[in-house]
This record gives sequence, structure tokens and C-alpha cells, in this order.
Amino acid sequence: MYPFGSIPSNLVAFGDLLRREYGFTVGPRELQDTARVIEFVDLADESAVRNALRPILSKTRDNAEVFDRAFSRFFFPGPPGVEQPEQEAVERALGKEPSQTEKRFPEEGGVSPAAAGDEEGGPGRAGAIIAPAATEKPDVPPPFLARAGYSPLEAEALSESPRVGPVACVWRDAARLLVRRLHLGLLRGWRPATRGPRFDLRRTLRTSLQTGGEAITARWLRRPRRTPRFVLLIDGSRSMGPYAQTALQIAVAIASVTMRIEVFAFSTGLECITKDVRRAAGGERRSLDRLQHAWAGGTTIGRCFREFIRRFGGRMTSRDTVLIIVSDGLDVGESDVLGGAMSELHRRSAGVVWLNPLLETPGYEPTAEGMRTACPYITTFSAANDVAGFARLSRLVRVGASRRHV
Amino acid sequence: MRDAAAIRTRFRARGFIVDDAFATALEIMQALTKPLLIEGPAGVGKTESAKVLAEVLDTRLIRLQCYEGLDAMAALYEWNYPRQMLHARLSETGALTLDQREAEIFSERFLLKRPLLEAITQERAPVLLIDEVDRADEAFEAFLLEVLAEWQVSIPELGTIRARQKPHVIVTSNRTRELSDALRRRCLFLWLPYPSLTQEIEILHARVPGLSDRLARQIAHMMQVFRGLSLQKAPGVAESLDWAMALMALHCDHLDAETIEQTLGCVLKVHEDSEVFAAHHAALEATQVESRDFGLGSVSTPDA
Repeated sequence: MYPFGSIPSNLVAFGDLLRREYGFTVGPRELQDTARVIEFVDLADESAVRNALRPILSKTRDNAEVFDRAFSRFFFPGPPGVEQPEQEAVERALGKEPSQTEKRFPEEGGVSPAAAGDEEGGPGRAGAIIAPAATEKPDVPPPFLARAGYSPLEAEALSESPRVGPVACVWRDAARLLVRRLHLGLLRGWRPATRGPRFDLRRTLRTSLQTGGEAITARWLRRPRRTPRFVLLIDGSRSMGPYAQTALQIAVAIASVTMRIEVFAFSTGLECITKDVRRAAGGERRSLDRLQHAWAGGTTIGRCFREFIRRFGGRMTSRDTVLIIVSDGLDVGESDVLGGAMSELHRRSAGVVWLNPLLETPGYEPTAEGMRTACPYITTFSAANDVAGFARLSRLVRVGASRRHV
Repeated sequence: MRDAAAIRTRFRARGFIVDDAFATALEIMQALTKPLLIEGPAGVGKTESAKVLAEVLDTRLIRLQCYEGLDAMAALYEWNYPRQMLHARLSETGALTLDQREAEIFSERFLLKRPLLEAITQERAPVLLIDEVDRADEAFEAFLLEVLAEWQVSIPELGTIRARQKPHVIVTSNRTRELSDALRRRCLFLWLPYPSLTQEIEILHARVPGLSDRLARQIAHMMQVFRGLSLQKAPGVAESLDWAMALMALHCDHLDAETIEQTLGCVLKVHEDSEVFAAHHAALEATQVESRDFGLGSVSTPDA
């Protein structure tokens, strides 16, 4: 009844599916654990196997939520309630190119991984192990065609998906300055230091051993500075034009100097691009083709911000978070939604930095509806259209306790 | 206790209702001796589950409450300096050699064990609860990884202390920040959602003895309504238990508009949320239970 002949190869193939299509982190350790746990669960009891594998293989809430679908898709490809089709035993060589498995288990109808579990699937077929290339899915358009708001007039700007790649040294230096100059106050914990406001009895005593029990060198404790976390919300709408690319560069620059960054692109939808940005900071060139509604469409800033708060707000905003919004503020959404979302973001973060590329245009006033609504909640309103502008930013940003006076 | 069904019954006997997924997770946590990371909204019983597990296993519960600025010293061990100094002064005139005196000062007598060290020096494997790990900072997380992986602690003055028994570790997180992948990978993961309607009724009966079935159903229904609204702080199981106790104390046998209004503070803890709730009368009316005495405005009718 399983796609592969033996339990270990099934587990390996299942881990493979989870890793490739659902973004799970499944390594040898997890597989080893599944093999161990299989020993004492009742293999005839489907839900017991599910319940046993779920905690081992899923690592986040998102994982846990799609796990059941993936499980059904892999182990029960046939319709529910009937005997599952017998699968021929397959010897699967590790590290083999996907093409072979692909032919053996073609995807039914080419559904996206998220929807795959809901689909019943034809009898006699196992779940696809590897997503076939786009050409094998005739009824699903390739992702770049699905992008909202594609316009032939701006074909030059839009013909390609946005790309991220490593940034020049000057960008990184500017980002380093920005991170270093942000003062968010002190942490509550105490750390050893050569000078500080509190006496460190433990270390003083310990060093006194070297001097025969006489405490000669005093050791001190001080409270270290809070390290800022960054959340970048990048407006990818058409009106942003080339500035969106600059915004991505800023993101990569900050990601090159700190790990504490999350990046989102929004247009009419919101998409997390942190992984791509981090990879780009590590020297990889990536093309962001999965952005779809989060790039090159219209703009509903308020709705996107609200979605951000709802989905990620709790985890990603805190009093250490500096929120950087790169947007021209040209919005087609309702302004009260934006106002509500902005006040919430302001309340939850150390400071809201809004980088508006139009600000450098002579004669520009932030009088557009969206911008006017957002203004009271912005702690630093500036532009950073090039590396010089970004470098200037470190002197302008006011966060934490000092932000109220700005 | 390596059987999901047995875990379920024993937890139930202590008033903690677990579903199959949770029971199996507890089972494999013991089988694989890996930490179990439980995430979920506030007030669904993450911490409580560790307490009950300790009771069920008849062992000690050692709790490490994480907070911002928690450092290795507060979690692991500390020397009792004042006592050491005192001892050093008092034994100055003794006949012991310097080495002997030093060995004495840095002996276990002067060691203050903090939760992590305490947990690995037990004869019988305790339940170690690392509560709200998301509140501690990343540096502490890295330190925790080391302890959880090796189960040994090196004290320069004493040497390495190895775990006699690996504790059963439960790590909880409220998701106020994203945990590192490394920590996640070392743990089994369980997402503990809000209980379903029937589960919640069961929980209410188990935890609040003497609660009438009707009231329990009404409270559970209301909770579903509350959690369906977009509130800033959705009420958890803890809130519904509080509410049930409060209603018992007020001698209410059913919920009506007035009672809800009076006791709303047990459930909704943010002012804006009460406003949201007030604006959702309609949604509330739609979820009336069969007894038709439920919801704002429709007070119980005698024929129901």
C-alpha cells in the first residue's frame, strides 16, 4: 500500500517530499527518529502513525498544519475509504536525479503543493515525489504569468522578476553604521565587563585565586545594549518602479551585517522574502518569481500591514524592532485601515522608519491620503534612493525612548 | 508509561484532557528522550501539561522560567560567595594546606544549583519545564542547545557533571519571537491549538466539578464565539475555567446578556476587545444552542 517497498525507503521518500515541496527541514536525525518511533507505534493504526511522525518531522506551526495533507498525499494517494492501490517496490538510489522518480509518480493535474492534499487523486498513482517542471502542468500557468497587474507598457521594468544579489561594500558599511548607531537602551541582564556600574563578586573572587586569595583586580558587570531587530516592508507596487530594487538592496545590506532581520514584499498581497534576502547576503543571486501579488501590482498598504500584524506581528515585532517601510505611500486602500495598522505597528515597535523615494523629488509634499494618515505614526520620515541616502539614514533614525520627541 | 492510551487516561484522571496527537507526542518524547517543544496561543495548558506529566510520572517538576536577561548562571549554577568567603576567613588558622582549603571551598557544599543543574543531578528523571523560552534572548537559546544536546555541565572548579538520568524536557513558547532553527531541530514539535467545542466541555467538567452541563456547554460555545472574533487577546482555556469558577461563585446556572456583561472581565482582558465583542452581537445570536437561552438579549425561556 505504500509507494515504496520497505519502511525505511518510504520514510526517506516521505522526508524527501516534505523537504522539497513543503519546505520542511528534514535531515538524517529526523529520519532516524522516525525509524525508531515506527518500531513501537501500531503500523495498522493510521492516525497513530500520523501522530507519531508529526512531532518529529514538523518544526513549526506551518509545518504541523500541512503535515496531514502531505501524509495523506504520500501514503494514501487513492480516494479515501477504498483499499489503496498496491505499489510496486522501488529501489531508490539516494542522490539520483529527480527525473526518474518523476516519471514513475506523475503529478495529478498539476496542483500546487498547498492544494494537493485536498484533491482525491486518481487510483493507481502515488503522490508525486518531485514537482514536475512547469511544462508538465498544462492547466497551471507558469508563476510569472500570474503576477497581478502585468502591463505591457512597463514591460521593460516588469519583464523580469525582481532579483536580489550581494551588495557592494559601501552598502554594507552604511548598514553597519545604521545598526551600530541605533540606541535602543540596555538589556536587563548583566554581563561581565572591565568597567561597569555593578561589582562582580564571583569573577573578582575567582581571579583572586591567582593572587593568593587577595582580591587585587576588581571585576565589574554592566548591562549590554539591546541589539535591534529589523523588519523591512518593501512596497513592490508598480509606482515604486526602480526604487523597489533599491529597497531590496537596503534589505540585503542590512541582512549582511545582522541576522536579526525579516523582509516582506507587499503590493496587493504580502510575501515573506527573508530567506531570499539572507541567501543574497550570503553571496547568492536569486530571482524572486514567487511573489505574485506582492510585487508589481497596485497598492493596498493598509490591508497588507494588517495582514502582517495578524500573521507575523506577535513574533516579529517587539520593543527591539525597528520597522523600516519603503513605500511611496500611493495607496488605493481605505485610509482608516492604514491608520489603524500604522498605530498598531507604532505601538508594537521601537520605531517606524518610512523611506519614501518621492521625498527627494523637489516640491513633493506628503499630502496623498495614505501618506497623510500614516504620518503621525512615523518616527523617521526620510528617503534613501541611493547608497549615500542610505548612509545618511544612520544619523536620522530615532528609536526607542528618544522617538517621542521627534 | 509508553502508551498513548495510558497517558490519556492518567492525564484525564488528573483533570487534564489530552487528544491523541498530544498523548502520542508525550509518548515518543519519552521513547526518544528528546525535548518536546510546545507552541500555542496563551492559556491552552502548555505549562499545565508539564505539571500533570510530572504528577503522572510521579517525579519532580523542575521549572526554569525564562525571562529577558536570563543568563547561564541563573539557569545552571552559582557559587555561594558570601558563604565561601566566610568559610575561607574562618578556616585561615586551621591546619589544612592551601590545596585542601581550596578543594573545600569549591565543593558541592558551596554550590547553588539552579534548575538545569538540578535537573540533571536527580536520581530519578524529573520533568524539566523550560517555560516561555521565547522570552529569553538568543544567546541563552544557544547555551540551552548545548545543555540539551550533551546533558552535561562543566564547572571549572568541580569538573564535568553528567546527567544521571536524562530529564523529560518540555519547552514552551508563546511565539513572541521566532525561535532558532537549531533549537527547533533538537526538539519534537507540537502545536497545541485551542480545544474544540466538545474538548472544552470535557475540560470544563473535569476541572470545575459541580458545573452544570448546560452552563458548561454555554461557556464552551461562547469561547468558540470569542475565538472567532478578531481580538487582540483571544481567551484561552485558562480564561474559560476562570469564567466557569466565577459563574459558579455567583450562583449562575446559565448565561444571559446581563451575566455576560457583568463577568466579561474574566474572559476579555483588553478594553478594545470588549468593544469588538459588543459590536458582534449578531454573530453571537447566530450561535445559539438548542436550549435557546443563549446569547445577548435572549434570556432563557421557561419552555426551553
